[in-house]
Amino acid sequence: MGASGRWKLAKRRIRDTMLPELNLNHASEDDVTHPPQPARRKPGFAPVLAGVVVLMFASLSTTLAQTARTRHASTIAARPALTAPVRAFGTPNAPIKLEVFSDYQCPVCRNFYEGTLRSLMATYIPQGKVYLVHHDFPLPMHQYSYQAARWANAAAEIGKFEDVEAALYDNQAAWSTDGNIEKFVQGAMSPADFKKVQKLMAGCEPNSHTCAIDEIINADIALGRQIPVQGTPTYVITSKGQKYPAGSGNVSWDIMRQFFDSLLSQ
Amino acid sequence: MAVGKILVLVGRLALAGVFLFAAYAKLKPQAAVPWSAGSVRTSLSLFAMQVDSYEMLPGKYVSFVAHTLPPAELALGLWLLSGIALRYSALVTSLLIAGFFSVIVRAYAMGLEINCGCFGPGERLGKMTLVRDGSFLALSLGVTIGAFLLHKRKREPIPADAAIPEPQRSN
Repeated sequence: MGASGRWKLAKRRIRDTMLPELNLNHASEDDVTHPPQPARRKPGFAPVLAGVVVLMFASLSTTLAQTARTRHASTIAARPALTAPVRAFGTPNAPIKLEVFSDYQCPVCRNFYEGTLRSLMATYIPQGKVYLVHHDFPLPMHQYSYQAARWANAAAEIGKFEDVEAALYDNQAAWSTDGNIEKFVQGAMSPADFKKVQKLMAGCEPNSHTCAIDEIINADIALGRQIPVQGTPTYVITSKGQKYPAGSGNVSWDIMRQFFDSLLSQ
Repeated sequence: MAVGKILVLVGRLALAGVFLFAAYAKLKPQAAVPWSAGSVRTSLSLFAMQVDSYEMLPGKYVSFVAHTLPPAELALGLWLLSGIALRYSALVTSLLIAGFFSVIVRAYAMGLEINCGCFGPGERLGKMTLVRDGSFLALSLGVTIGAFLLHKRKREPIPADAAIPEPQRSN
């Protein structure tokens, strides 16, 4: 066999390897001892496979469009915030900013707060590494979450947000059943402070629509819809001016800390 | 049968593209920063948070999965693209996608409001995720079955009474 013949054979073998589906239509050395059998019709296989390929591409294009919309919305959210946050922990000029949209009646938010945010507030926040900002995003499915947010914001006005937030999450199972939030807020502060909070909560009864605090909560909800927040907790992390895609669900402190460490090391 | 062979080829290339894109989406910088070892490390840490949100694995396994899965997807995509040992590459693909699909079904059934993490961050886990990954699974199974059928057809022995063409003799 000459050089051109050897080259042809090599090309054929490469083609047979990379396109194994198509290597039955020409004679090869194997065909002498193993000639190809007549094609047997396999009813239904090809149309089903074709349909699956079409469905796959259709769903993949929908996914890409959804991801593009989400990323575009995240770009919109990168524009200047509406108001200065009232409920924040740490120093605003920390290298990492963590914004959390949560619902006080959401069990996953509670787990996230107890398991991750508490550790964060005990370590990376006092160390000046992370600035934590809380945003309210009460979900319609939770009957008392909006009222809980009102109490937390009223407490924030007198600088008692951290204590009330902890009290709300610690006792979530209790007040979620009957909506009796006031006693847990009262237990989280002094009587004098509680009187101030009660004054701020004037006109904020559960079915009231004239509560002044609602403006803060609704601004948070509007901000969350730009991201968009579709469930709680949702968190947005910003580092060195770069906003990372929003995440959601419960994340353990160890895993979140690894992410923070990678950002800090850049 | 030629149509079936072409569809297996198209399906294989489509699956290769899916895995290569999935690996790229997880490894690329997730913010407006240039590619670097640090940005890849950050992207993998971000992916670890998405894996953790499924609430399935302890922390050390979460990190292991998050740091090995994207490179494995890249390798699998290249393997599918090469066409080498198609039966085995298709089988591994089917097993991997079946694993993904079962995890997603579990998360959806539990009502977890999380991101899928399948093609990087930003994709909500919902019904369309189930449909999409279900179609991936169906496609990979089709390619796997097709690959095994093609190999079987290639290797079927000739019948004992089949005529063997006589070599031509020159006079």
